[in-house]
Amino acid sequence: MFKSMVEAFKNLFKPVRTINYPAQEIILPSGYRGLIEYDKEACIFCDKCEKVCPPGAILFYQHEEGEKEYRYNPWLCIYCGECVRACPKPQEAIWQSETKQQSAVKEDGANEGWFVWEEACKKSREAYAAAKKERKPKMKSEEPLCVS
Amino acid sequence: MKKTIQIPLGSQHISLLEPIRFKFECENEKIIGVDADVGFVHRGVELACTRSFEFKQVGYVVARVCGLCAITHSLSYTLAVEKLLGYVANDRIKYLRMLMVELDRIHSHMLCLAHTAENAGFEALFMQIMGDRELVMEVQEAISGNRVQFDYISIGGVNRDLTSELVDLVRKNLTTLSEKMEILTGLFDNNWSLSLKYKGVGVLTLEDAYTYNALGPLARASGLATDVRAETSDFPYEALGYTMMLESTGDIHARNFVRLREIVNSIAICRNIVDNLPMGEIQEKVKGKPKGEEIVRIEAPRGELFYLVRGNGTNTLERVRIKTPTFSGIPAMMEVFKGSQYADAPAILASFDPCMSCTAK
Repeated sequence: MFKSMVEAFKNLFKPVRTINYPAQEIILPSGYRGLIEYDKEACIFCDKCEKVCPPGAILFYQHEEGEKEYRYNPWLCIYCGECVRACPKPQEAIWQSETKQQSAVKEDGANEGWFVWEEACKKSREAYAAAKKERKPKMKSEEPLCVS
Repeated sequence: MKKTIQIPLGSQHISLLEPIRFKFECENEKIIGVDADVGFVHRGVELACTRSFEFKQVGYVVARVCGLCAITHSLSYTLAVEKLLGYVANDRIKYLRMLMVELDRIHSHMLCLAHTAENAGFEALFMQIMGDRELVMEVQEAISGNRVQFDYISIGGVNRDLTSELVDLVRKNLTTLSEKMEILTGLFDNNWSLSLKYKGVGVLTLEDAYTYNALGPLARASGLATDVRAETSDFPYEALGYTMMLESTGDIHARNFVRLREIVNSIAICRNIVDNLPMGEIQEKVKGKPKGEEIVRIEAPRGELFYLVRGNGTNTLERVRIKTPTFSGIPAMMEVFKGSQYADAPAILASFDPCMSCTAK
């Protein structure tokens, strides 16, 4: 009884084990898996990151002139780093930073905005493929003439 | 007139971590019949694995079946696919995977011990164990880069290497933890009020454990020698100092003790792994597409985890079947409730360490 009372009294003056969160910052360990970052200059647009991404957080928008535009949803991303491992130029074109993503607010459009983008990317691909197909048959019709 | 009354426990209850419903048929305070319903958190993971995702992505999907044993799920799936592709991992990969699984076992067992203490009415002990558990969580976060969703294992290896600083951190934290475990073991063994809640409560006899196919710590507490780690040869557990922990009484106290001793054993295994880590690549290229059928069994913290993977030579799998330890253990769990007091039910339930997200997936 006496022993446990002494123990309880001692505990009053021990430092607390929890972190006083908003006032005190949580220190993340080095190597924390954070946001995926991208450099357009180094990218070769092979689309490998888009194909391997488990949640589909990376998309490429296809412009009519043939250029591609990188689009990334940081709230859909699971930060697994699979895109970095799939990239032929890892750490140059795409790499994983140690920044933690903040929570989304309504203005960010984490869901609705992304659905619009997804649809737009899909349509841009289809339109580009259709345009390419239209150009191809002409080429083919010319080819046999050359051969004969 | 009817002599019994029905008392429900759940699906929302203060002692439950996850939704499960028990319907107890009680005669005064004594439970004589149990009915369980587990499917409250169904998310359709199995179907998603075969419809929406390619086989290389499924490893990250199944990791999200359960928050506590995420690494065991992704490991089981990865092993099954690697077997289908005819790939055998090198020793370094095997050791690193084992290290993560054992760390996972330590923190999962600690959570269960804390929860059992809380449900028996010892809030302070709950806080203490959860505080000590942070030591393991820190190590896991430093190794894998995230606290809960590790995403550490991928087909053909592991995603990150173990650097010398990490090895030092593992050694340091495990030394502190093993000192704390000694104090905890003493507390669980000698504390008089804890023994009132634990000793002789929720007994599962060896015969019942055998009949109702108990598994994991539940079976080992009754003296049934079943452990996938000893039965399969996917990982070199025997060489790294694994011993099976058996108790004979089969009550909550015995289950707690199986867990406490397994934590100590897992700490020894982790130390052996970081001391004898072989050299080698951590990620190798695996080519091909899965064709055929393969089953894999892995010892999760709660018992045997079973995976069936069937592929047809395309990128999408034909079937993924997950049988989790809690699901297999339900008949044995129902048997334990019969004959015990209703007031003991939360503590007994916590001592099974049920994982509903796993079961309903």
